[in-house]
Amino acid sequence: MNLTGAAASQRSPGSAMEAKHKLKLQRMRRFKANIPLLIMFIPVILFYLIFRYAPIGGLIIAFKDYNFYDGVINSPWVGLKHFETLFSDPRTLEIIRNTLLLSVLSLIFGFPVPILLAIMLNEVRHMLFKRTVQTIVYMPHFFSWVIIAMMVTTIFSLENGAVNHWVESLFGKPYEFLYNEGSWVAIFVGSGIWKDMGFSAIIFLAALTTIDPSQYEAAGMDGASKARQIWHITLPGIRSTIILLLILSMGRVMEVGFDQVYMMQNPLVNDIADVISTYIYRTGLQGAQFGLTTAMGLFESLVAFILIFSANYIARKFNEGLW
Amino acid sequence: MRASNGEKVFYGVNYLVLLLITLSCILPFLNIVALSLSDAKAVMSGQVSLLPVGFTFFSYKSLFEGTPIVNAFWNNIEITLIGTFLSLAVTIMAAYPLSRKQFYARRFFTMAMVFTMIFSGGLIPTYLIVQKLGLVNSYYSLWLPGLVSTYNMLIMRSYFSNIPSEIDEAARIDGCGELRLLFRIMLPLSKPVLATIALFYGVGYWNAFMSVLIYINDTSLYNMTVLVQSMIMSTTAVQDFSDPAMIANLTPEGIRSAAVIVMVLPILLVYPFLQKYFVKGVMLGSIKG
Repeated sequence: MNLTGAAASQRSPGSAMEAKHKLKLQRMRRFKANIPLLIMFIPVILFYLIFRYAPIGGLIIAFKDYNFYDGVINSPWVGLKHFETLFSDPRTLEIIRNTLLLSVLSLIFGFPVPILLAIMLNEVRHMLFKRTVQTIVYMPHFFSWVIIAMMVTTIFSLENGAVNHWVESLFGKPYEFLYNEGSWVAIFVGSGIWKDMGFSAIIFLAALTTIDPSQYEAAGMDGASKARQIWHITLPGIRSTIILLLILSMGRVMEVGFDQVYMMQNPLVNDIADVISTYIYRTGLQGAQFGLTTAMGLFESLVAFILIFSANYIARKFNEGLW
Repeated sequence: MRASNGEKVFYGVNYLVLLLITLSCILPFLNIVALSLSDAKAVMSGQVSLLPVGFTFFSYKSLFEGTPIVNAFWNNIEITLIGTFLSLAVTIMAAYPLSRKQFYARRFFTMAMVFTMIFSGGLIPTYLIVQKLGLVNSYYSLWLPGLVSTYNMLIMRSYFSNIPSEIDEAARIDGCGELRLLFRIMLPLSKPVLATIALFYGVGYWNAFMSVLIYINDTSLYNMTVLVQSMIMSTTAVQDFSDPAMIANLTPEGIRSAAVIVMVLPILLVYPFLQKYFVKGVMLGSIKG
């Protein structure tokens, strides 16, 4: 107490002013440096306000009877009418079910595949082989769904598809892969996994490089088998990456990519292949039912939001949260 | 150290499975190539597997002459080049200030941007805004609503902030301003991340489908994905063919396959040059999270 008092009294009024001046100068310098940064940032702010936040405000038409003449602001309020319609119509309930079914199946079967692929690639000692495999399996990610959907229909088509060629020679008659709901779902989920497994594996490969190789050596000395090494060293080593990506993919559970469904669906499997995104496109944009489909969109966004938050909440319990 | 028997089996199975996965990625593609180069009779009878049967460029000839694919190809180029440039520029304009420690309210801005990753207004409200701005039927409707991907912005921001601060302190002492610092020092040092993000944006624009379907009504402005999709949907793949002999020689599969090759080829051409960059770029995203 005494000491600080003495120190304060020793400080001359001049040096206090100097410190103040210095602080002011520092603030000035910071402000000056901020000017070009702020100018640069203006287009970014405009973009986020116009194309990210204004649509969020536009969600109010989910509670309105939107018509083109009155616009977003002046259209009459209808309360929860659209939500009542959505949740009482068996057709829209079916669409919500389809969306959940397809995306949950894609998540369950699709999530482990890139991890396995990364672990397998990590075990390859032959560099040329590894590099070739990587180059080729990353590629489908960069192709549009038009191309993938066309490949899939070519391969599984009834008349001259390669798969039905074999099926026919084995069982005598071809199978309608694309027109049966079960096999269509399998092909849908499978093609999604196939397209992105390589690219999604990159992130796990990166995580694998952070594992200390001496751990494997030590385990090998102790006679641990490959399977045990993978289970006890590799998987724990990439645990946080796995959890991080799992949280992120939870946010996408309500989302079935429009391009893929739109291009792979056909009238015979419509009862299972019609999802929220195609419904919003068809009923909202083509059928001009903006209020109703915005309600569907809001429902989708909210569920995704809740899912990603609860996933993060659970992950935080294990000290692996995203934020 | 010699591999034990168990390890030998493990490695053998590992190589075999990887080989099968790789083949699954390459064989369907070879099939398309073969289909596009085979004659109509072979395509229709289903003889074509991995090698062309009755080698001919006829599918390509009819694709170029009978469909507006060339026009759509140039549209693709325009959409991709301008779009990638705009997106990359604005992403830098977002990522650079947010990577500077002295930038005001950078935490607030970052949070506000990340929020839009987990909650969005969705398709209809966005459509109404694009319509209100009069962008329908112009390529600005493809460029502006998706101008900045927050995910790409975060990758770039973390790359910028990982550049050692000694470098920019030294530059600042030499009297280098913020803009000079960005153009002379930060951007040249960030080539890998710029290449990666340019690739991500470029592929996104090249493959754009939903946005074109929604915002572009004028068929002469269609890009290749939407054009090829409409070719697949319609039974008559080729629009104006007067010569009946030509129609007899055509198969929808052959023409579609040729169109797929035209769509994929530019990606395949730039892919090998960018591969090493995007692997690095994705890894960056993973480490920072």
